[in-house]
Amino acid sequence: MRHIPEDELHAYLDQALSRSQCVEIETHLAECGACRDGRDAIAAVRDRTTALLGALTPRRLIVPPPLALLAERKGRSAFRARWQERVKRAGLWAAGVAAAVGAGWVARTALDPHRNQSAPVTASLALTPATVEPRLDLPPVQSIPIPPQPTRTLVARSAARHGDEVVPAPSLQLASLVLPAHSLIPTETSTSAAAEDSHSPFERIWRVVSWEEALQLAGSGLPYIEGMPVVGVLVQPGAPGERPTVIVAQQYVGGDIIQSIEGPVGKVNELLQRQSGTDIHASEPARTPPDYVDGPAGVHRTLRILAVTGRLAVDSLNALARSATIR
Amino acid sequence: MIGKVGQSRATKRVRMDDLERLYNTHYAAVVRFLYRKIWDADRAEDLAQEVFIRAMAHRPEKPRAWIFAVAANLARDEARAAIRRKKHLTLLKDDPVPLSTPEPSAEDSVEHDERLAQVHGALATLTERDREVLLLWDSGLSYPEIAAQTGLAVGAVGTTLARARKRLIEAYDRMEYQGHAAHS
Repeated sequence: MRHIPEDELHAYLDQALSRSQCVEIETHLAECGACRDGRDAIAAVRDRTTALLGALTPRRLIVPPPLALLAERKGRSAFRARWQERVKRAGLWAAGVAAAVGAGWVARTALDPHRNQSAPVTASLALTPATVEPRLDLPPVQSIPIPPQPTRTLVARSAARHGDEVVPAPSLQLASLVLPAHSLIPTETSTSAAAEDSHSPFERIWRVVSWEEALQLAGSGLPYIEGMPVVGVLVQPGAPGERPTVIVAQQYVGGDIIQSIEGPVGKVNELLQRQSGTDIHASEPARTPPDYVDGPAGVHRTLRILAVTGRLAVDSLNALARSATIR
Repeated sequence: MIGKVGQSRATKRVRMDDLERLYNTHYAAVVRFLYRKIWDADRAEDLAQEVFIRAMAHRPEKPRAWIFAVAANLARDEARAAIRRKKHLTLLKDDPVPLSTPEPSAEDSVEHDERLAQVHGALATLTERDREVLLLWDSGLSYPEIAAQTGLAVGAVGTTLARARKRLIEAYDRMEYQGHAAHS
């Protein structure tokens, strides 16, 4: 039997062959273990190459200036310098608003002892659509509704501490500038009634939490990819006895945001469907430890999965998903 | 006459829209492609913008392949100019990798720099053609587009890629091993 040459397997995995060639190869693969092993080895080589080349990226946000501005530019270096300054300022401003929203929510929680944890919040929106689709003049967080009272208070305090400038946390600066425009998170505010209704788990509230708080809430179920700074964590409570659904946003080299989503199968799939039709891709879902919940009919098992999403090739996301650890 | 003018304007607008879409989706890829050739983030952005300015003037029929071909030419010119100025190209193994912005954690930064230098060094061990094909593939170009740009036959792209991938990983593993040996 003639085995499939290595370069053909590369071309097959690169989707560079015609349909008839693919059928021929798949037919052979179905009956040849050696070639299947060869294909798997080459797939691993491809993944690794992608991951290695992924490291060779400028360590800054790559944001294209508006095309119209580009056409008018005069001096290249002077234009770039002005453009980068604008990107920086936009990031700082967006971060100020995002920090205020996040801090406002935290303060409201901390200051109000009667506050019900499952009451409606809009804090998740702080991480929602700061838009990378970077046409400039971006009003990056225009669509973020700011919680009225606490936000104003905190902006004032922040300004008092730092002069006229609101100084955001560095992680939020990144998050607010580069999180995908097509957010996974529903933008509508949840109601406390829906949050308490165990039959509508998809309507439970999303909360922006600190890493420490996320560790407490998610226990061992917090997904994390080594070597990339965490720019945001979102948590949605699960049904009683189940771990929450968690989204951990981390910054990949070059500024792209990678989101690791860990939760019950149905929930994660539902989130992934939200991004269909966008340029955000997802890794193959991988199994994570299930939840075991005592119920009237005995112990019930809920399967859970992890998927990594971002504006990267699926191969790269698969490689990242394999390297993700569950904390 | 008026109709013709209107028609040509309409056609022009559509092509500009296509170009703008391509610009928004491929700008970062072009910057990365250039950065991997000239190792200077500022110049990579300058040149990427230059590429798209030229694309707006030329309105090429196959814009995606065209912008990478122009980017490769600009990177080549840049390398020649750098040699003329007697600057060391960072493609040489021993040169430090220029980094444009500091990163938050010193430990992360050191680890990142080491990895970057190793991948960088591994890439530099490839032949120019292997490196070009690998970078074009990683930028999202199809086999026919890579073939058109490099002068290879379409059938040879897979062979070249197979060799380039294998050599990149071998060279990287070798450097990583040497790095560990040097630390211990």
